[in-house]
Amino acid sequence: MMIHNIMLVEGNRLMLEQLSNVIKNTQGVDLVARFREASEALGQGIVFMPNIILLDADNSNIINLLTEFRRVFPTASIICTGEKWNAESSNLCINAGAKCFLVKPFSSEELRDAIMSFSTSFADARSNVLTFFSPKGKSGKTTLIANLAMSLARRSGGSVGIIDADLQFGDMAFFFNLKPQSTIVEAARDKDFLSPVSLNSYFVPVAKNVSILCGTKEPSLIDKVGIPAFEALVKMARTMFNYLLIDVPAGFNPTSIAAAEMSDTTYIVAMLNGGYEVQHIQRALEIFKSWPNYQSRVKTILTRVEPCNITSKQQMEEVIGYPVEGIIPNAFLKVSAAADDGHMALDLDPDSTFAQRVNFLAKKIMNYKQDDSDDF
Amino acid sequence: MNDEQINGAIITFFSTSSAVGKTLISINMASELARQGYSVCLADFDLQFGDVKNYLHLHAEHSITTLCDIIKTNGQHPLTPLLSTYSYGHVSFQVVPAPAKLEEAYNLEPETIIEVVRRLRCQYDYIIVDTTSMFSVLNLALLDISTIVTFLGIVDFIPTIKNMKIGNDTLRTLNYDANKIRLVLNRSDAKTRIDLQDVVRILGENFYHILPNDYESARQSIATGVPLVLSGHDSALARELRNLVGRYTNKGYMEDTPTKSSSWLTKIFN
Repeated sequence: MMIHNIMLVEGNRLMLEQLSNVIKNTQGVDLVARFREASEALGQGIVFMPNIILLDADNSNIINLLTEFRRVFPTASIICTGEKWNAESSNLCINAGAKCFLVKPFSSEELRDAIMSFSTSFADARSNVLTFFSPKGKSGKTTLIANLAMSLARRSGGSVGIIDADLQFGDMAFFFNLKPQSTIVEAARDKDFLSPVSLNSYFVPVAKNVSILCGTKEPSLIDKVGIPAFEALVKMARTMFNYLLIDVPAGFNPTSIAAAEMSDTTYIVAMLNGGYEVQHIQRALEIFKSWPNYQSRVKTILTRVEPCNITSKQQMEEVIGYPVEGIIPNAFLKVSAAADDGHMALDLDPDSTFAQRVNFLAKKIMNYKQDDSDDF
Repeated sequence: MNDEQINGAIITFFSTSSAVGKTLISINMASELARQGYSVCLADFDLQFGDVKNYLHLHAEHSITTLCDIIKTNGQHPLTPLLSTYSYGHVSFQVVPAPAKLEEAYNLEPETIIEVVRRLRCQYDYIIVDTTSMFSVLNLALLDISTIVTFLGIVDFIPTIKNMKIGNDTLRTLNYDANKIRLVLNRSDAKTRIDLQDVVRILGENFYHILPNDYESARQSIATGVPLVLSGHDSALARELRNLVGRYTNKGYMEDTPTKSSSWLTKIFN
């Protein structure tokens, strides 16, 4: 692994100490030099051979400084730091040659993520992108995604991101009782000057290692999120998380198709309601079969399966004519009770069938080998 | 818009959550209107996953795809021979099913579908339209051309009500006559912890009509393919469905509902 030699340029004495400590505690990086004055860094820094420069951007002269630093340190990557994130200054810095913009004080993890985002050698390989598609809506997938995200984060210790791309009636923010400052609309608007690190500030953390890019606040905002912008966001987000879960609008539409195309796995999620759900799954599968490797890329999950046991699963596989990846029991009462109180039905009794089935799916996504007796 | 063109009334069922009963109720409305002797055409414009054909156990030769093809190639060709007929006893009405193949659905143009509706309205007393739960280009055009929009909601849990509220507010921004949009509550799932009065308060509006919870009758109707109002079994749901139709056939309500050629939302979506 490449060692990152960091030169820190920070005008504020206390912040300089604070950031130095963070850098010293970050694995894989070395603090090789630090300066309070940019002019000193420009004059003396080169002897320390930094390959990453953290540059204080709360400076009216930052654009000229960036030009100077790039001239003196042509091989180093420059990360601008500022007390407050705002789209305009971030945009200016990135246009002037900075790799990204970090809000300070940052944590070790944020710093590592920032560095990782532009040393792409190991960024993309680690992410697993999962799209949750439902033919007709009312599939129970919002609840499934949220619980799966929590389970994945807890079990893998990795980071999980959720993108609520159900652009007209996304419920993720509501389920988590969030009033987000920024949503997918703002992220799409700002995409041209976002880096994975700055995009991170658009995600709202909801639990340890789980954060959400919320959906639009009203249906008419849908046209603010174009498909190219959406694709750019997914590409960026996949370098930020170990697992990226995407909720898409029901049916085949530009958004759901784009998400599915970019995903490692697309789950067709449907709720058994005594209607024609099986036919809808089959119709959707017919479309996905145009992918040569659809058998490994497209999986089905059924919700509200009662009784939720291996016999039901096998029966459904026979009826649908396609393997069923997972089954989830009816959790309507618990989910609605929690939602009505303004929170998500998470951490349901760990011994409940619901929790067991969600955990089983999480382990499958993590490629755990699971006990045969548990394998349905 | 030329007023003399308007013959039949177009009644569109719309919602902002799926599985609220749009298909079941539109089928029953079509059946009851037909039973009363009106000429009725029921159009399934949930193009990808429409269930009208399924719920009626209908084997249709043609679909909206054929109608659109005809309109584009030969504008004069009559459309009625291409519709499917549903009959039960002495009652019958025409159906425009959703496309047989999903990829057809993806390629249909909203303008052509609207043209089909314009043509059909000259031949039927009532056109009943089933839709998907989103503000798509097609749905916005259908809302524009409709005489009455039945905005259907259920009360199961708060996210659904949030979406109902957003949907209702969005509908109001389209500036239709207040009388054109009718809020109907389907108590399809009575297992709810939410008080009806709270919902009314949140929506800022009373329900025009409330349908009782009768899951078992609804389930049976879907299983047998016979609409509730035709099956002969008396149930509270069938009664209230008939009452709803009774209120809709009051011609006093139907007059003077000009359709708008476009709206801000349509423009945004285009």
